Amino acid sequence: MSLRHQFQLGLRMNWLLTAAVLALITIGVMFIYSATFAREDGPSHSLYQRQIIWAMAGLTAYVGFAVTDYRRLRRLSWAGYALGLGLLVLVLVIGKEIYGAKRWLMIGSVGVQPSELAKVAVIFVLARRLSVPGENLGHMRPLFNVLSIVAVPFLLIMKEPDLGSSLVLLPVTLAMLFVAGLPFRFVGALALSGLAMATLVLAILFLPQAIGMTEAHQQTIMRTVGLSAYHRDRLMVFVDADRDPLGAGWNKRQSEIAVGSGGLTGKGFLNGTQNMLGFLPRSVSSTDFIFSVVAEEKGFMGSATILGLFSVILMCGIRIALAAPDKFGRLLCTGIVTMLFVHGFINTAMTVGLVPITGIPLPLLSYGGSFMVIVMAALGIVQSVHIRSQRAGLSFEQGVLGYAV
Amino acid sequence: MNWTELLSDEGIRLRILLIGMLLVFLGLGTVFWNIQVVRQTEFQSTQNRQTVRGVRLPGPRGRLWDRHGTLLAGNRPSYGIAIYVGELRQPGSASNTLNKIEQALDTVSRHVGLPRQITRDEIAVHVRKRRPLPLVAWSDIDARAMARLAEMPNPPPGVDIVAEPVRYYPTPTLAPHVLGYVGRLDPDDDSYDYYLPDMEGRAGMELTLNKRLSGEAGGRLLQVDASGFTHREQSTRNPRPGEDVVLTLDAQIQRLVEAGLTGERGACVVLDPRNGDVLAMASSPAFLITDLRDVKRYAALATDPGSPFLNRALGSAYPPGSIFKPLVAFAALENNRITADDLIDCPGYYALGTMRIRCWRTTGHGPVAMRKAIEQSCNTYFCQLGTQCGYSRIYHMAEAAGFGRRTGIELPGEARGLLPDAEWKQRVQRDGWRAGDTANISIGQGYLLATPLQMAMFAATIANGGHVYRPRLVADHKQGELINDMAWSPQTLAVVRGGMLDVVESPVGTGKRVKLEDVHVAGKTGSAEYGPRDKRRKYAWMIVFAPVESPRYALAMVLEDAVSGGMSTAPRMRDLLAGIFALEQALPPDGPAGGRG
Repeated sequence: MSLRHQFQLGLRMNWLLTAAVLALITIGVMFIYSATFAREDGPSHSLYQRQIIWAMAGLTAYVGFAVTDYRRLRRLSWAGYALGLGLLVLVLVIGKEIYGAKRWLMIGSVGVQPSELAKVAVIFVLARRLSVPGENLGHMRPLFNVLSIVAVPFLLIMKEPDLGSSLVLLPVTLAMLFVAGLPFRFVGALALSGLAMATLVLAILFLPQAIGMTEAHQQTIMRTVGLSAYHRDRLMVFVDADRDPLGAGWNKRQSEIAVGSGGLTGKGFLNGTQNMLGFLPRSVSSTDFIFSVVAEEKGFMGSATILGLFSVILMCGIRIALAAPDKFGRLLCTGIVTMLFVHGFINTAMTVGLVPITGIPLPLLSYGGSFMVIVMAALGIVQSVHIRSQRAGLSFEQGVLGYAV
Repeated sequence: MNWTELLSDEGIRLRILLIGMLLVFLGLGTVFWNIQVVRQTEFQSTQNRQTVRGVRLPGPRGRLWDRHGTLLAGNRPSYGIAIYVGELRQPGSASNTLNKIEQALDTVSRHVGLPRQITRDEIAVHVRKRRPLPLVAWSDIDARAMARLAEMPNPPPGVDIVAEPVRYYPTPTLAPHVLGYVGRLDPDDDSYDYYLPDMEGRAGMELTLNKRLSGEAGGRLLQVDASGFTHREQSTRNPRPGEDVVLTLDAQIQRLVEAGLTGERGACVVLDPRNGDVLAMASSPAFLITDLRDVKRYAALATDPGSPFLNRALGSAYPPGSIFKPLVAFAALENNRITADDLIDCPGYYALGTMRIRCWRTTGHGPVAMRKAIEQSCNTYFCQLGTQCGYSRIYHMAEAAGFGRRTGIELPGEARGLLPDAEWKQRVQRDGWRAGDTANISIGQGYLLATPLQMAMFAATIANGGHVYRPRLVADHKQGELINDMAWSPQTLAVVRGGMLDVVESPVGTGKRVKLEDVHVAGKTGSAEYGPRDKRRKYAWMIVFAPVESPRYALAMVLEDAVSGGMSTAPRMRDLLAGIFALEQALPPDGPAGGRG
């Protein structure tokens, strides 16, 4: 394919989606600047500049995947999945330990979270698996098959431990199964079993303590099912922020105050006191808590804008899924859109204490290189589906305008 | 179910999914509306009334002790007046908060009677970068100021007394080069978030042992009201004190050594030859550790031409002069290039082609053998011996004894010294190795350079019969760390040690001024010329070990710009040794090596 041809392909992308993406990235860079503004002589002064560079890399991936036919990636699904699993195992072995969790692989000075790649790899494999013609999801066996594809990376990510990231996989899987035509009774059963599992996890984490077991016994019980005291403590902070007021509880409380004191229009860019005075810890204000900075400085208008832009992405994504030329593409779009939705929801909801604080970044806004590139690549794949869905109905135009295939 | 039906089914499901997600976002938006718009005032007042005070509980830095339990470095509390910035936070722009803090500072300043010490800019930096930490407005205040503050009728909110440990050196003159000093982490270092920077070693053992000595600060969250009354303690994170470390130093010997160097430029090292323990290490001119807190004194010290911050004992390398001769003796005897009884005639100079190296006794020593040559430090003998032995044998012996490389003592800033070889000479001097170079090095001149610590290590090696122990300041094991075993034969050792004993004990020995009444001392003097010949400037050296029968001390001392080893260094060495053995009398019989902590 010629460069000119690729360029023309690229022009046929969904521009509304691209506009929403660019708007979110711009807001992200602006407020990373704000979040790091107060420490002008610190090493993170240039954080927003680095984010711009990452955004450029992300845009390259976005356009690159948009002009690539996503169906050609179908064959690579399992390879990507294997790579994802390999990296997840690798991070458990040689990962950099930060605050007791091994989530990062260091490539030079750049950190990469394999769980981010793994999420997209799982979406690909599920899309491929569920789009096999004649697959009957009305039976237990194929369903079981699909669930075990998810279970392996799920457990590996939980092992890091990164409970938040691993839990993102569940709604993504459920949404893809749902769209793939899983009978409603199975949807209900899965949702119920998910609920049951959550109850069980909570019981394992808290029941031994409630009936007065020693810490050692509690930990033994948690370990046998792959959980740890870390998980319990994080959840406890959610329930009662005063448990760890210097650590995670502090962040939650300060973030709530930051968002709450923002008002309708906010305190103004670079004027958020929670942000500027460092109540929101600098270490998280540009990453997981970037939304709090926006909400404080731009108020409800700011938070509504971000939710609105994410809604635009969701609507575009589902529209593209609806018009997708094949089931594989439709499921890809469904998985990617759901992933962005879950990230967006968990991240914004945690800033006001609706969900426990987990290390889940806000796509396109939070500072972070590898996540930016992966999200942009995923969105590029959505655009690729869009471009191909147009081509299906364009054979006449092709003839008239003389597009070479 | 046919294909169209399935597709329409998928379409419905996708729409259900989208509607579900949008509804969740809508719900989230409602929550934000509720929090940000409806309950805005509530959160804003929470923000304004938020009076949780983070109190820092310092983790005291570990102390340093000498081998007998004398405190070398400890901590003492110092009191300061601090402002908890968070409690003075004002709504609106940051300058409102700064104004409020300045107001509070001025009020306290008037009442307590202390002039303000921090500027608005410093407050601004603190507010921006270290908001949760108390801003120490006056540090190290006296009891009167503390009483005034306590009696203040309406103290502004957020003002309190804080205690912080300050590094304290009971005898600030003692071993400043070895102990080093501490500083606070530079506030501009961006490496901390929540806690005040702790003290950090900047030089000497404070730097080397920083990890072990450092404590970890804890914290306590207190809920306080506007008048500073504590309502509730929310949480505590306990501080962890640093580890105490016992050094091998002997404070009393250290004091003697420092007294012995007073007024001179030079250095002295005392080792225990049995394990490499550094009993004392001094460099002169020195400084007071407490001087470093005074900006003016510090500036004066930093520009002093005598470089008082330089630890000459290991940071300066000098030509060793004649104290290198025992090494040449070992190289020749061990390689059977000469026997102890072979005579070499000294006419007062050593002739090599047209070049003449003068012996210090211009009339000559006549025919001398090894032991006498060491006693007399005969240049002619050693020049001849060196050339006869060949440089590569000397080089390998010297390298094995630790010349030309760092000993690896725990202190930073160690010099390597220089043990030249042909390759080095070609590279640096662009010239080949000549017999004259060998002759020169055989009497410790030429390009050869050694630190006083290396020479003390050499003396210790001769004293203990050939074990090269790495000099150490922290003895984690009783056993010394063996770098090398020279495996010298007893006969060779007897000859060299005999010569070194004669240096001190013979009435005509070059080091006769060291002789003690009741202890047998062996040693070697050395005088290395430097600078223009007519200036006659010399580094005056002496290495000794004692008692000869079972050595417990090995010493090296160098004085810059002195007359000679025998004239200038030997008398000081004598006083030092007399002092050390007098101390031993006062100590339990087990001696310094056994009496740790």
